[in-house]
Amino acid sequence: MKDFREWLREDRMPHIYCTGCGNGTVINCTLNAVNQMGWEPENTVFISGIGCSSRAPGYIITDSLHTTHGRAIPFATGVKLCRPDLHVVVFTGDGDLAAIGGNHFIHACRRNIDLTVVCMNNYIYGMTGGQGSPCTPLGAISTTTPYGCDEAPFDLASLATAAGANYVSRWTSYHVKELTRAVKAGLETPGLSFIEAMVQCPTGYGRRNKLRDARLMVQWMRDHSVLMKKWKQMEAEGRPLPEDKFPVGEFVRRHRPAMGVPEE
Amino acid sequence: MKLIIDETRCKGCNLCTLVCPYKIFQEGTKPNHKGVVVPVLDRPERCTNCRLQKLYGRVLCGVCQMICPDQAITWVDEDPYSPEKVVVEE
Ligand SMILES: Cc1ncc(C[n+]2csc(CCOP(=O)(O)OP(=O)(O)O)c2C)c(N)n1
Ligand code: SF4
Ligand code: SF4
Ligand code: SF4
Ligand SMILES: [Mg+2]
Repeated sequence: MKDFREWLREDRMPHIYCTGCGNGTVINCTLNAVNQMGWEPENTVFISGIGCSSRAPGYIITDSLHTTHGRAIPFATGVKLCRPDLHVVVFTGDGDLAAIGGNHFIHACRRNIDLTVVCMNNYIYGMTGGQGSPCTPLGAISTTTPYGCDEAPFDLASLATAAGANYVSRWTSYHVKELTRAVKAGLETPGLSFIEAMVQCPTGYGRRNKLRDARLMVQWMRDHSVLMKKWKQMEAEGRPLPEDKFPVGEFVRRHRPAMGVPEE
Repeated sequence: MKLIIDETRCKGCNLCTLVCPYKIFQEGTKPNHKGVVVPVLDRPERCTNCRLQKLYGRVLCGVCQMICPDQAITWVDEDPYSPEKVVVEE
């Protein structure tokens, strides 16, 4: 196919996401990467759990599984192990992946199952009205942390790296070209590839945290992300790492033994 | 090629106004029949992709289309030949 938009189910558009929700951007970048791989919809499967982010496969023309909350990876593991010839992409959210599905996530990384997992991290449970998730930043207001979150969040990309995934990257919905390239690199890498896409949830997060609309949230991500090379340099020089900033780029690319890789 | 915003999809988030290097997307002022304030295009013929997609055979720049969360931005073919009225100043 020539255009990534041909992977979209036109009959289901417009989608249900709120104005300015970053999930739509991540769908664009992922489909663009899949399209660049030259894959056919017949051989590609999208799998998700529950959440706003997890509704993504419903807008794509391929076969898909919209499963139960937190269980996208177990379903994807099943598909991949019986049909290694299929390309399996998982869409998930920070709640789906790191809260209820946390154990599945780390063990899939450990086993290095040949999946590409794209997590739309909006720091919150978007779908259910903005409750705090394991990724809610310190001090952030959510419906379950009305006085500011006082638990430290997970760093999903570092978690996947520590747990053994073969490829890990983090970008934001501002970095559309880089995010597309990262997803493509993930699709090309045998073993588990994890792409953390930081996204804005203007409805559940932004308006409670002094970021009134999507544009302000995207500007915030643009201004608070630091390229990995610079981040590592600051670390090496022993400079204090700014608490309100986060590194973006490639965390790891390696060749640990993997499962579910199709035989050549 | 001609740049267009599909009004049936645009939700007026204005992310396109943030990313275009030429500032072709400008915040709109009037709500449409759905109550959405769709951005307006300022001289869209300046768009890199409008000018060069045919020549290179692929999308160039295209960041507005990629960031648009509602898949509302696209390019359509223009009439193969549309005569321009040229006013020659005396
Ligand atoms: C077993 C189970 N527990 C709880 C819920 C309620 N629930 C639905 S979506 C969701 C959180 C979604 O958060 P996330 O994965 O971050 O997705 P987002 O909506 O933010 O994209 C929860 C707790 C559920 N559907 N099933
Ligand atoms: S609630 Fe948040 S995550 Fe869900 S569609 Fe709206 S903006 Fe997107
Ligand atoms: S393709 Fe680039 S130059 Fe053209 S309108 Fe979009 S952002 Fe602007
Ligand atoms: S990014 Fe898309 S949905 Fe948002 S204002 Fe621009 S055209 Fe409309
Ligand atoms: Mg979430």
